[in-house]
Amino acid sequence: MAPAHYHDKVVRVLVLCSVFWAIVGMAAGVYAAAELVWPGLNFDQSWLSYGRVRTVHTNVAIFGFGVSALIGTAFYSVQRTSHVPLFAPGLAWVVCWAWQLALVAAGWSLLSGHTSGKEYAELEWPFDLAIAVVWVCFAIVFFGTIARRKIKTIYVSNWFYGALIIVIAMLHIVNSLAMPATLFKSYSLFAGSQDAILQWWYGHNAVGFLLTGGFLGMMYYFLPKHAERPIWSYRLSIVAFWAFTYSYIWAGPHHLHYSAIPEWVQSLGVVMSVILLAPSWATMINGIMTVSGAWRKLRSDPALKFIVLSLAFYGLATFEGPMMAIRDVNLISHFTDWTVGHVHSGALGWNAMITFGTFYYLVPRLVGGELYSTKLANVHFWMALAGTMLYILAMWAAGVTQGLLWLSLDEYGELLYSFTDIMASMVSYYGLRLVAGVIFLAGAVLMAWNLFMTVRGRETAKVLPPEPVANPAAASEVAA
Amino acid sequence: MARAISPLLIFRLVLKPNEVFQNLAVSRPSAGEVFFKLVVWMIALPPMFAWFGSLNFGWRLGATEPLVLSTAELAGISIGYYFTLLFGFISTALVSRWMSVTYKARESLGIHFAMIAVVGAPLAVGSVIHLYPDVFVNILVLVPTLIWSMYLLYKGLPVVLRIEPERGMLMASALIGYLLVAFVSLLGLTVMLWGFGIGPRVGI
Repeated sequence: MAPAHYHDKVVRVLVLCSVFWAIVGMAAGVYAAAELVWPGLNFDQSWLSYGRVRTVHTNVAIFGFGVSALIGTAFYSVQRTSHVPLFAPGLAWVVCWAWQLALVAAGWSLLSGHTSGKEYAELEWPFDLAIAVVWVCFAIVFFGTIARRKIKTIYVSNWFYGALIIVIAMLHIVNSLAMPATLFKSYSLFAGSQDAILQWWYGHNAVGFLLTGGFLGMMYYFLPKHAERPIWSYRLSIVAFWAFTYSYIWAGPHHLHYSAIPEWVQSLGVVMSVILLAPSWATMINGIMTVSGAWRKLRSDPALKFIVLSLAFYGLATFEGPMMAIRDVNLISHFTDWTVGHVHSGALGWNAMITFGTFYYLVPRLVGGELYSTKLANVHFWMALAGTMLYILAMWAAGVTQGLLWLSLDEYGELLYSFTDIMASMVSYYGLRLVAGVIFLAGAVLMAWNLFMTVRGRETAKVLPPEPVANPAAASEVAA
Repeated sequence: MARAISPLLIFRLVLKPNEVFQNLAVSRPSAGEVFFKLVVWMIALPPMFAWFGSLNFGWRLGATEPLVLSTAELAGISIGYYFTLLFGFISTALVSRWMSVTYKARESLGIHFAMIAVVGAPLAVGSVIHLYPDVFVNILVLVPTLIWSMYLLYKGLPVVLRIEPERGMLMASALIGYLLVAFVSLLGLTVMLWGFGIGPRVGI
């Protein structure tokens, strides 16, 4: 029997789908940003209204671009760190296409106005059930591959991907528990402040275990591979993993400061958020020290630049988050565009950049060729940096101004400015943000073209797992 | 050396940045020389402009009336601004020197003082826009200035610190990471002070 090669065709499809969703999600974001400058852009069509377009933007960016990239890179790396092809490859294809189908249907339902009203969990119950089933299939393929591994150690990237799969399943299922009323309407099983606490337990840990944990899995596999050297401190990566897993899950209540939830719950959220800085920065230092020894690679490799910069923005976002969780800062920043800027310093600076860097590394290898244009990738790098910087600076200024104006009082102790006044004064900042979004989107379009030309007309390369070695423990050291 | 560090450096930076970097690459300025010849007065520019602008026009936040503070309060805030910038400058130079061990760069404190001063110079000059204290106009002017400063950092760091351009790129990115964190800390600290009753009166 011929030896089984790695199943990389499914990885190729997932990566290309992720690139497609990146363009769709970012374009929706740009359109929503334009609507905040020119509200008439909804053309009085309910499906084009800001509330619906914005929801499509967040869902497609996170679940289309982000999760397709995570599933694809998890399938790619788990085979290579386990030295075996994917377990149940047919099921992996089911995961791949069912996820894409769910995204198309989800986009339609959101534009049609079907929503549970829970942020980042807006989809109604039939979609929630479908997502849970696909996610369990993802878990079977991933953990099945690990169970059949030829290497004793489970490499740290798999711990992060594993945490992503387990925790997101737990969060999604519990937060989506609801009583269906019709085919597209249901009501949460939880009520009042309990529902709010649960929603932000979900919401914050979707950020934690998907946008942070999942992408850290990506970083821990692709950065050392890319730099062609082991991770700076493997021990630190394991310590950071457990500290991260333990502390993140408690941080959600910082989204509910000065609300009806008990004060001790808010305080607990603050303390755990501040503690989170330690494992987050331990990971950042580990990444920076790994890449600092591989500086020669930067000469010929634009992809590594994205990863270097993503670590800087990861450092910023993971510092800013705990700071904004402190009640005295939150008092000004909450409900303002500062929060939107913070989310995008993570989403654009960290998630998108590390994914771009990974794709520039991965796609040529998937087809056994060279990247179509290194020059285009370099141009993309500067566009991504400029777009991100402009975005967060505009939102910092807008957010701090909003926070100050909302709390300003006149001599009678009445609010000095109306909500409408303040929103009208934001138009210039929203214009800047729109420019930033267009720059970032244009860079992503360049990447899509570059990657499309790289894979065009090329078959997926067939790669065999290495021959078994006499000492599996030693092999695990070099597996990553 | 005298050519490398002087108050005229800011103008030479605009016209011939490469020449400034090449001069610094072969000079060995002392930290004290850079600090007293250049940094002390350069860093005084933003608070001075901000004080003058706010005193005469009040800060325009975009909504109707400008925010006007008393002379004493403005003086206090401007002095605080000066010392914050001073702290920011010194800490960034120290962090840069600390990083130089990892990136195999020159380690003398003076050269790190000089490099950070050069990178910060456009921002100090650009702060002239504080004379027109409208937040959005300030953002419009200071964002391109910031991008120029970042360009100077990426371009000048490997030349001044005599390291390979690729290593310079890594070190510059690490410094950008530090500066972003420092800036956001400043933002957080500022709004916390508002909550404690220092600065604009907010209804808390």
